[in-house]
Amino acid sequence: MTCEGCSGAVTRVLNKLGDVKFEIDLPKKLVWIESDKDVNVLMETLKKCGKEVKYNGTK
Amino acid sequence: LCSVSLGVEGMTCASCVQSIEQRIGSLPGVIHIKVSLEQKNATVIFDPSQQSPQSLSEAIEDMGFESPGSS
Ligand SMILES: [Cu+2]
Ligand SMILES: [Cu+2]
Repeated sequence: MTCEGCSGAVTRVLNKLGDVKFEIDLPKKLVWIESDKDVNVLMETLKKCGKEVKYNGTK
Repeated sequence: LCSVSLGVEGMTCASCVQSIEQRIGSLPGVIHIKVSLEQKNATVIFDPSQQSPQSLSEAIEDMGFESPGSS
């Protein structure tokens, strides 16, 4: 994730998925997600943006 | 083979272009894709038995970019 284009894409796919609350930290390349959904579902959704996705654990 | 030009909104840099070219370019039936940041479009050459302008613009929207459809 390197620019507003990426974070915009992440925002749209997560909104489309629905039932998620999230915060994007572009400088740190982090997305904080609050959701009841499975981690794998969230990861697959983020991967759609064509970026590498790494699970950093819970807060 | 068919060729279509699709609008792509929301790209801001070369890395956006690259991720679209990589992901859409790897779909079955997509022979070639060229994305233009300046013109906000994607020119795709595809096999009409496996893809359609609709399926391609849906795939772009699925990535989180807006694709208003073929132009
Ligand atoms: Cu970007
Ligand atoms: Cu970009």
